[in-house]
Amino acid sequence: MTPNKKRLNYSYYPGCSLHASGKEYDISTRALFKALNMGLKEVPDWFCCGATPAHNVDELLSLSLCAKNLSLAEEVEGDLAVACAACFSRLKTTQHHLKQDAAKRKQVETAIDGPAPLGKPVKHILEILAREFGLAKLEEHVKKPLLGLKVACYYGCLLTRPPEVPDLDDCEDPSIMEDILRSLGAVPVKWSHRMECCGANFTLSRPGVVLKLSNAILESARLGEADCIMVACPLCHGNLDIRQQGIKEKYGSTDPTLFGNIFGSELQQGGEAQQQRDLPIFYVTQLAALAMGVPSDKLGFESVIIDPKPLLREKQLL
Amino acid sequence: MSRIGVFVCHCGENISRTVDVEQVAKAAGEIPGVAYSCDYKYMCSDPGQNLLKKAVAEQKLDGVVVAACSPRMHEKTFRKAADAAGLNPYLCDMANIREHCSWVHEDRKLATAKASDIVKLMVERVKKGKSLAPIVVPVTKKALVIGGGIAGIQAALDIADAGHQVLLVERDPSIGGHMAQLSETFPTLDCSQCIMTPKMVDVANHPNITLYTYAEVEKVEGYIGNFSVTIRRKARSVDEEKCTGCGICMTKCPKKKIPNDFDQGHGMRSAIYVPFPQAVPNTPVIDRENCSMFQSGKCGVCAKVCGPGAVDFGQEDRLTVEAIGAIVVATGFKLYSIDRKPAGSPIQGYGEFGYGTIPDVIDGMTFERLASASGPTGGKILRPSDGKEPKQVVFIQCVGSRAREKGISYCSKVCCMYTAKHTMLYHHKVHDGQAYVFYMDARTPGKGYDEFWRRAVEEEEAVYIRGMVSRLYQKGDKIMVMGSDTLVGVQVEIEADLVVLATAVQARDGADLLAQKLGISYDKYNFYSEAHAKLKPVECATAGIYLAGACQGPKDIPDTVSQASAAAAKVMTLFSKDKLERDPVVAKVNEKYCVGCLACKKVCAYGAVEEKEIRDRQGNLVKVVAYVNPGVCGGCGTCQATCPSKSVELDGYTDEQIMAMIEAL
Repeated sequence: MTPNKKRLNYSYYPGCSLHASGKEYDISTRALFKALNMGLKEVPDWFCCGATPAHNVDELLSLSLCAKNLSLAEEVEGDLAVACAACFSRLKTTQHHLKQDAAKRKQVETAIDGPAPLGKPVKHILEILAREFGLAKLEEHVKKPLLGLKVACYYGCLLTRPPEVPDLDDCEDPSIMEDILRSLGAVPVKWSHRMECCGANFTLSRPGVVLKLSNAILESARLGEADCIMVACPLCHGNLDIRQQGIKEKYGSTDPTLFGNIFGSELQQGGEAQQQRDLPIFYVTQLAALAMGVPSDKLGFESVIIDPKPLLREKQLL
Repeated sequence: MSRIGVFVCHCGENISRTVDVEQVAKAAGEIPGVAYSCDYKYMCSDPGQNLLKKAVAEQKLDGVVVAACSPRMHEKTFRKAADAAGLNPYLCDMANIREHCSWVHEDRKLATAKASDIVKLMVERVKKGKSLAPIVVPVTKKALVIGGGIAGIQAALDIADAGHQVLLVERDPSIGGHMAQLSETFPTLDCSQCIMTPKMVDVANHPNITLYTYAEVEKVEGYIGNFSVTIRRKARSVDEEKCTGCGICMTKCPKKKIPNDFDQGHGMRSAIYVPFPQAVPNTPVIDRENCSMFQSGKCGVCAKVCGPGAVDFGQEDRLTVEAIGAIVVATGFKLYSIDRKPAGSPIQGYGEFGYGTIPDVIDGMTFERLASASGPTGGKILRPSDGKEPKQVVFIQCVGSRAREKGISYCSKVCCMYTAKHTMLYHHKVHDGQAYVFYMDARTPGKGYDEFWRRAVEEEEAVYIRGMVSRLYQKGDKIMVMGSDTLVGVQVEIEADLVVLATAVQARDGADLLAQKLGISYDKYNFYSEAHAKLKPVECATAGIYLAGACQGPKDIPDTVSQASAAAAKVMTLFSKDKLERDPVVAKVNEKYCVGCLACKKVCAYGAVEEKEIRDRQGNLVKVVAYVNPGVCGGCGTCQATCPSKSVELDGYTDEQIMAMIEAL
């Protein structure tokens, strides 16, 4: 295979999370793009996409926020790279929605006092790695394969849904994360909760819901014998990482509410009771950058709650 | 000068409410060539028809225009009346001033003017009309029935019992179809095999039925009463005449581990096999892809042990051509499979159910085989993965059906009933088991159907949960069913041992290709289209071809049998006469002007256009022209619109007539 000489250049919309609670996602994304010699230029003066709250409150507001960001993105060359699943979903949804509804588009253009350009392709980091940079090339660039690392790839609910919007992969049974992981030399495990919801931004308003849902995801990954979980969304990361301690305190070593049954059928109440293992949560870019030989102290591992270093040391990846 | 009569109908008030009928009649009387005009309250009534007949006789009319409803409604009525009065019926035409005028307009003045215009057009058309005579074609009194499931069997037996010859062609090695696979049937729980196999034997023994199994329709030519059908009889590798059906070949065959389609892949068969013990005919077939003799040239055990020497490895496909008068299509259905569909297919698989990768997630037909005494488990409900008896079984209805986002919006009609039946069969066989059913609504229209469903719920302890399932996944040896109960408004999670999916009924693979061979139409789901949804439910738009069973749309056994008997009755009606009269509105080629470009042949939907060679007296080829077979022509006029040299015309719709109509405006 002849290497593609042309350097890939992208405009970049980090989103608020990547400047705050998920800054290690931002750090590792930039480090990875540098290691792969891909250009990444931040959109100037970008602001919040509205994430999950805006569109629940005011449709026009949520569309206008994204439309304005899309118009700002026009100032930078290259397709728009997005790392956060929620930003990705909102920007794509806005494009999809306004392309189909001329009246709404006009309304939005009045609101943002300018044109709402919809032509720039919005691409998720996963798409860029797997399709544009390419899996084969990714494999060629690996300096330190993640041998023996068993990873549960967690998609969450937003990355592939609804089917008509993101166009990222099979809506209910995607494989893009597993494909990337294999090129990095790691082992994707088979597990059940790849596509379940973690509770997302209920983490602030209804933490109980998040503890329950995220516990089910963590337990399922443990059942699949995963060493860790890989995510591509700062909200998922937050819930699975930050809340893991709280989950352990609430649910301890057993698995009683993983699946409640309203018909009272016998449930295996933690048949194989054991202390819950800590599961480090990685961003896809952290693992990929690590495999590309980026030093581990440049990947923001110090700013997460569940320390991944013992695991990485055990697998001789540090 | 013509002597045309114009009769304007009030249609009660249907026309006269918006159109001034007296005015229309008066205006018609002033058209040159109109000798008589009048209006009447109900032209289609007896006095109305008599009015027409009397006027034809007294006024010596040479053409009639009835300004009334659509010709689809009463053209036949008035043509018959004209015929009775001694006028060629094709010189009687209708001006549609009801559907085309009074029903769609409100302004009386404008509507009256428009009605007068419509009458004027039709008068000009009739003036240029010609006397036509019905086309008479002979009828071959032999029917072809395609498909040997319950629909084909019923149609074949009915036609044969009426004394006509029937050729029954079945693609598989045995007749019986899906019904032979079922365990019990709703709503009476009688054993499917017990009511099906005697009918299969009747087919085999009937003196009027010729049975070709392991055969397919290759080519269909001709037209109603006069089809010529080529049938490919696939090589069985066993001589049907010599074979006694003793079965020793199957016992001795060393290859015995081939999944049997009849058991949905859950039972095993040998390479030389009959699909099931009650097969008709009881003549084995060699599955060449799995036979050592065909794959490596070694073995031949079956040939060695066969007493009568029936095994014939060198047998080849045979093509036979049959003269057929009518065709009944009864090719049945297949079940939706939830696996990943090829890119570009409008049908989506079920990723949320793991695309069919969980072994204990089975479809309804597999459950039938598990419950059947002749099935792979001898009638015990045992799950495929580990052969254990499932204690919690979840049934999911509407999988693929009524799911537009998955590519199918129709209801499969039989699933509500067979799922209720499954819960009963399960309850009868596993007393300590619990059945759950996820459903959208319970659709039970049919005699005794709702009582049957209520029995499943009230007496047989099935728990019905109204809601759908969002996800299935394996957890240890259980299948987690994540669903919702929309009546209670809660999420439901059930640990199931076995999940049974009521998957959608779909048209068979290749249904579209067969339709193209037959020249019949089909819908976007490849189900065959009937000529009229209500009034011609068993006829195809193509004359002489009839539909029976699920190839036309999802259907249960009682409906299938009814439709099959109806199709048979249609065939018998056709066969009741030696000659068949057809409408003479067909295309005719003017051979003098035809340049033989055959553009008409390309556009003809009926395959009626043929090439014809014109030779001089010495037999030298002068030119090739188009020829329209009047027996096949559907009278649509597409050729007339296409012909660049204007040398093909539809009788009754000639260019001259159309031009006259336009000029009258």
